[in-house]
Amino acid sequence: MSNPIKKIMVYVDGTEQSVTAAQYAICLASFSGAELIAHYVVNTRAVEDLLKARIFLKDEQVEYEHDMEADAERYLNYINELAIKKGVSIIKKRSRGNVHKEIADSIEADDVDLLVIGELSRIRSRRDEFFDETERAMRAVPCSVLIVKDEDRVWEMYESLV
Amino acid sequence: MTLIDLVVEKIVKIPLQSKDKPDILRELVRILKDAGEIDDFDSVLKGIQDREDKQSTGLEQGIAVPHCKSAAVASLKLAIGIAPQGIDFDSLDRQPTNLFFLLVASPELSGPHVEALAEIAKLARSKSFCKALVNAENAQEVVELLKGT
Repeated sequence: MSNPIKKIMVYVDGTEQSVTAAQYAICLASFSGAELIAHYVVNTRAVEDLLKARIFLKDEQVEYEHDMEADAERYLNYINELAIKKGVSIIKKRSRGNVHKEIADSIEADDVDLLVIGELSRIRSRRDEFFDETERAMRAVPCSVLIVKDEDRVWEMYESLV
Repeated sequence: MTLIDLVVEKIVKIPLQSKDKPDILRELVRILKDAGEIDDFDSVLKGIQDREDKQSTGLEQGIAVPHCKSAAVASLKLAIGIAPQGIDFDSLDRQPTNLFFLLVASPELSGPHVEALAEIAKLARSKSFCKALVNAENAQEVVELLKGT
């Protein structure tokens, strides 16, 4: 039987949970031979909303978007280093816009088989305002989704990879 | 991590004691200090004050969102203060402010910082929910309202 997972995408947003997800995705790519994409979305949609709500000033919009681009570069480079250490090559991808839409569009465009994401909030508020972007992405994408948990165990798995 | 993960009783104060804007800002930062969320009170307060000096974060409908980036914190910090009697916070609609969400984030967490502020902005659109928060009796009730429990 041929490998059912040919392309994996891991969503990276700078959180510890997404770094753990990346480590797991690296292990999975190493075992399966699947192609691995690390995707960071600069959430310009949220920044625009804050400007409209007048929580942000115009110069804050510019400043924060600049910072988020720098964050994207930094985290994607870090994930790349993690992958290189384990002999896995990774495609770094960065986009701007609405997070869950960008992820869903990217998965369709790149024909991704599996989306790997970090652990979601354990608190399940009934308020719609607290649905985070990672959870929205999980619901929006057309492919299977793997939610990575247990940071310590994943770290051991990653460390043991040769 | 989302905003909801930050909502615990120790970062909520109801009612706030201060009567004017400078004191309110101090009191909100004091919530974080007393909760053990920050060490450098002065540095965080300065960051918040510098942002307020550019333009008041007092919005319409009685809500304010004082915020700043600060190297004095390693993560995202939230404090919630409620002043049922209303405070003059130089808001956009010139009305008293009752509900304060103070957010401080490490400069390296711009993404989560923006998303947390965006969640607060969405909350602020619900007049009835904001009214419920202002009318809460204690911190526990505020937490329960926000977590939807």
